Amino acid sequence: MRIGLPHAGIVLLIGPSNSGKSTFLKRQIEEKAVLPSEVVSSDDFRMRVGDLEFIDWKNRPQDEANGLMDEYQELSKEAFTLMDNVIKARCRLNKLVFVDATHLRSEDRKRYIELAKENHVPIQAIVFDVNERILTARDEVRDNPRGKRRIKQQYQIFRNEKRFIKKEGFTAVHTLKEEEVEFFRRTNPIELDIDKGIDVIGDIHGCYEELIELLTKLGYEENSEGFYIHPEGRRFVSVGDVMSRGPESLKTMMFFYQHVQKGLALMVDSNHGWKIARWLDGRQVVLSHGDEKVEEEFRVYEQKVGIEKLQEIKQQLKDFLLNAPSHYVFQKNGVPVVIVTHAGIKDEFIGKQSQTISDFCRYGDSDESRENGRPVRKDWTIGHHKSVLVVWGHDPKPKPLLVNQTINIDQGVVFGGQLTAYRYPEREFSAVEAKQDYSGHPDNPLIEWEKNRLNPPDIAKFLKGYSVLTEELGEVRIPPELVKPAIDTVSHFTVPIEQLVYIPPTMSPTPNPSAMENYLEHPKEAIEYFRANGIHTMIAEKKHMGSRAILFLFKDEEASEKHTGIRSLGTIHTRTGKRFFDRETEAQLLRQINEDLKRMNYFEEKETEFVLLDAEIMPWNLKAKELISSQYAHVAENALLDRTFLRDKLAAAAKSNTELQHWLEEYEQKLGNAQDFNDVFQKYCWDVDSVEAIQIAPFHILAHSNRTFFDKPHTWHMEMNRHLASHSDLFVETEYKMISDEASEAEVIDWWKEITEDGHEGIIIKPEFYIARQRGKLLQPAIKVRGSRYLKIIYGMDYLEPANLIRLKNRNTGKKQKLALKEFTLGIEGISRYVNGETIERVHECVLGALALESDPVDPRL
Amino acid sequence: MQLTIRATGENVKSISHLLSKNPNNLYERNQKGHLVRFFYSKFTEDELEATIFVTPDPIGLIQNKTNSYDITHYINDREFAASSIFLSLIRSALGTALNGQPKEEQMEWVEHPFAFTLELGPVNSTLSDRQLRELFEPLGYGVEITQPELHYSFRLKESSQVRMISLAGIQTLQNSLRHLFVLIPVIDDYKHYFIDEKEIEKLERYGEGWLEKHPLREVIYRRALRFKEVYSLVENTTAEAPKAEPVKKSRLNELRYEKIAETAETLHPKTVVDFGSGEGKLAVKLGFVSGVREVLAVEPSEVEIIKAKKRFEKAKGQEAFVEPETLWGSLFYYDERLKDKDLMILCEVIEHIDEMRLPKVFDTLLHLYSPKSLIVTTPNREYNEIYDMAEHFRHDDHRFEWTRAEFRSWCAERNTKGIYELEFTGIGEEHPEQGAPTQMCLFRRKVNAG
Repeated sequence: MRIGLPHAGIVLLIGPSNSGKSTFLKRQIEEKAVLPSEVVSSDDFRMRVGDLEFIDWKNRPQDEANGLMDEYQELSKEAFTLMDNVIKARCRLNKLVFVDATHLRSEDRKRYIELAKENHVPIQAIVFDVNERILTARDEVRDNPRGKRRIKQQYQIFRNEKRFIKKEGFTAVHTLKEEEVEFFRRTNPIELDIDKGIDVIGDIHGCYEELIELLTKLGYEENSEGFYIHPEGRRFVSVGDVMSRGPESLKTMMFFYQHVQKGLALMVDSNHGWKIARWLDGRQVVLSHGDEKVEEEFRVYEQKVGIEKLQEIKQQLKDFLLNAPSHYVFQKNGVPVVIVTHAGIKDEFIGKQSQTISDFCRYGDSDESRENGRPVRKDWTIGHHKSVLVVWGHDPKPKPLLVNQTINIDQGVVFGGQLTAYRYPEREFSAVEAKQDYSGHPDNPLIEWEKNRLNPPDIAKFLKGYSVLTEELGEVRIPPELVKPAIDTVSHFTVPIEQLVYIPPTMSPTPNPSAMENYLEHPKEAIEYFRANGIHTMIAEKKHMGSRAILFLFKDEEASEKHTGIRSLGTIHTRTGKRFFDRETEAQLLRQINEDLKRMNYFEEKETEFVLLDAEIMPWNLKAKELISSQYAHVAENALLDRTFLRDKLAAAAKSNTELQHWLEEYEQKLGNAQDFNDVFQKYCWDVDSVEAIQIAPFHILAHSNRTFFDKPHTWHMEMNRHLASHSDLFVETEYKMISDEASEAEVIDWWKEITEDGHEGIIIKPEFYIARQRGKLLQPAIKVRGSRYLKIIYGMDYLEPANLIRLKNRNTGKKQKLALKEFTLGIEGISRYVNGETIERVHECVLGALALESDPVDPRL
Repeated sequence: MQLTIRATGENVKSISHLLSKNPNNLYERNQKGHLVRFFYSKFTEDELEATIFVTPDPIGLIQNKTNSYDITHYINDREFAASSIFLSLIRSALGTALNGQPKEEQMEWVEHPFAFTLELGPVNSTLSDRQLRELFEPLGYGVEITQPELHYSFRLKESSQVRMISLAGIQTLQNSLRHLFVLIPVIDDYKHYFIDEKEIEKLERYGEGWLEKHPLREVIYRRALRFKEVYSLVENTTAEAPKAEPVKKSRLNELRYEKIAETAETLHPKTVVDFGSGEGKLAVKLGFVSGVREVLAVEPSEVEIIKAKKRFEKAKGQEAFVEPETLWGSLFYYDERLKDKDLMILCEVIEHIDEMRLPKVFDTLLHLYSPKSLIVTTPNREYNEIYDMAEHFRHDDHRFEWTRAEFRSWCAERNTKGIYELEFTGIGEEHPEQGAPTQMCLFRRKVNAG
């Protein structure tokens, strides 16, 4: 007899003692048909917990027999608890397990049937039907014989129960009467190898034309029999809902049926698919939500081809749809990498099949719990912790939505959106536009989404602290105590939430202070940091000394209204989200920049409706005049006055008292420091009588409306900035140099020395590319190296005096570095979400996070 | 931080004994890392000049300061200014002179007046030159003030608050030092240490014999003790006459609360939300409105929330009072707990929000929260003329103030879906032309509107 074993689940052996269960398994193990670890037996567990397989109480006085019986029962109970836990664990892990025990009573068997159901694995029974005579004969020759009476008793139970087993709910029941058995293993039907690659296609809903257009775009070619075949052997996979709502459901279903039969395509189960399947199966279902259109198509088809042909097709499609699996697990070298499902999945369902799983995969987490008297629809993606990527559809979104290692690729083609394909292993999207909105639905979900996109963020999501799931750094935690001050800032001081899509990250100085005696910071330590982390090509950009600014510039007021809900040409804000200029100046600047950008044909050329720039705006006094006056100038005035008076007095007295010479020298030096301090801060200031005196030095083109630029090297950003500067008087270029070897390093250090001795702030050293990693670990995106003169306005005019410098070198940049990485990640995440058309709430999550982290006290002089 | 003492005339050499400083040696002491230094630049029969100064340790000076996370942390005038820090550092170096206890044979010079010129500074003071003179002139000094000349490469400021002061007068050494030890902290804008009752004792000791008669005695005390609590220990000066304006204001506040509570009575709300509830005065009133079952007081400031909670606690026992519940919130976010209430109130809130952000806020209020009624109050700019402040806003933080016509049309524009009816009224004394000081709009949802 050949018995097919499932890839996972429980195989329950049933039969009285001596029926040959253990012997059978032993032989299968010897023949290597079964792994020793796949077998659990109650005898083994009795042994393991109690050192005994069996306790014999027959022929013992009643009092002793009672005691022994107690002991045996206690021992058995422990053994079964342990055994059940092992079985459960193997079920959870989607492994096969043979359970070797008598399982004579129905309640014993039901427990395992239940257990298999809970874990969504199949359960088979192998029944050992051996007659009483043989059983007794075997008992007599075994160790620890159970005794005739017990065997007889067991056999009677078995005989009575036998006929019920088939109806108890086993996936399969095999009855053995002493014959030879050969096992063969079935593989998991929903686990497939990624092979030459897959193209997962979003909800088609009968948009056949768009499907063909997409397949053609993906490189599939129609052969003479009408099959679409990829020259490289790729397969396309539907996330389901290929039918209903749209114009050509029948054609699309047949297309998939035929391609799946040929092994050219795959399709998973879905809500509409399941509804149509049951309708085809003749069940009582109400066809609505576009399913009625499918019925109509069948009617038309019947008129064309007649009832016979129709019945044939109906039968084929019924079987096809009823058997569509809830999901597929695609593997690379045996490791699961992509899950394709319709509406969602739980991690513990992956690779398993059951009614519950099918329901979940069809409808998503529709379990509505009530909070504050209101239903809350659960978001299943929150529960996805495994690293395997889940590709799904079902819920139309304007753009593919990447959340927590899940990608939604239903872009609502039937609602006039797009039909999306996600290509793996390339991890690329490809899409075609819908020819029209076919749904005729008043509540178009894409329009609904767009309408709600700018709804105010839900405060409940933030107040108790929250996590942002970022693509670059995983989960970034925002602690509750920092959230309230950040919300307060947003409520009172920043530009509107819809215009605030980016807060620039803080930047760390060199991780180690300079090894050189006369420097606190030096390019060497920054370069060493990157080299030690495997980065050998770096860019050194001149650091302008002004105020950091984010410029969000729109093509026109209509574009701004579309993206932010606000009619304006954009906004310019500081690194804390506050409006940079007064409204009048801002309006004037925005107008002027807009004219310049239009003159250079920027928006048309780049096919964008906005540009988001990260920049430094000069002069420093533009923003910081009050601070300069009350702090820097004020201190300079004090120092100059104090030191000039002392120097003069010491000089006069030193003429007759040579002992005073060293005090005099000291004060001449100090006066020099004060004068230098006074010179340095003025270097960054000039009068601004009109906007012409304002200089804007962009250093990152963060985003256009159609894409972000985090994949570009910094040289690209610098070139773009040069391009801007050459077309607008407001923009200025930023000098930069590359570091790739010792010669270029020396050149950069010389350049740094030269400009900083002239009083410039310093340079920023960045890895060649915007995002740099080593062994998966994100590296600092930039390290600032400030000039020795500039640092006087940070650490005080006398900081270079040896006694001071030695103490200042004792700084720790660890916290600053961690913060820089978190804020950098939040920045990228927020902009990516924004460009991807996600809700402002999802964008604000990142912005608020960065603002919150910035309110955490870290030494600002770093 | 420096002080130069110059004396001319006979017997000036004896001053070195009063100072207990040998003219042949340089004096240098390390005080917690700061160097206190003293030298003579003239020492003849009829002219003596000596300077005491401190070379501070700039890093030591600012350690353990509370604002250590300020970008300008190391950029600080304290290492230069003639201040209480300076005095505490030089006190022991000048102890002999300050206490008038030289060696026995020099005692006669303690009470001897010399022709002194004292030059000190830099001083950092908000006091004007005139005020500085008024501090020293009554004590018999001629005062000269030197200001630095400013040459900034760009327009920054007209003048510096930093000055050197030169005082000329016939004084005993001890007295002149005592004058300085009292008046330097008075002149300086900061105090570096905690001020408590000991400060009073110091004032009395150094001020003995002159401070009581000083015409600016009160100012000196007030500035020296700085904090009201300490100052009140010295003196019970007549309480300042309350200004007229606050009275008017608090009266108007009261009228507003009354009007809102009155209006609420007519609306029969069960659930009420007070946005920007501050210290909770209005919320308490709303807690008494008949039929009310819930009052939510929404406020983002923790300080105000604490005050409000205390106020609610106090009112709690009273009959027919529903204790308001405080809610941390913001108008720029959506809070599900605020949906479908009977009455929402924005009392003097909108004028604190940038005008361009308001339409969105009102869209959230009227169309997401959709209360049955919404009351909005805001100043009537026309009335400012009555206050004689036509060109100014009534509060520094006001982002705008509207005329009645502006408010009317603005509110009407917010009713984008037309589901509310609007009623306008004034609060406070009505002026025939300028209207009432406060204007109010009541949005009432139409019966059949969603």
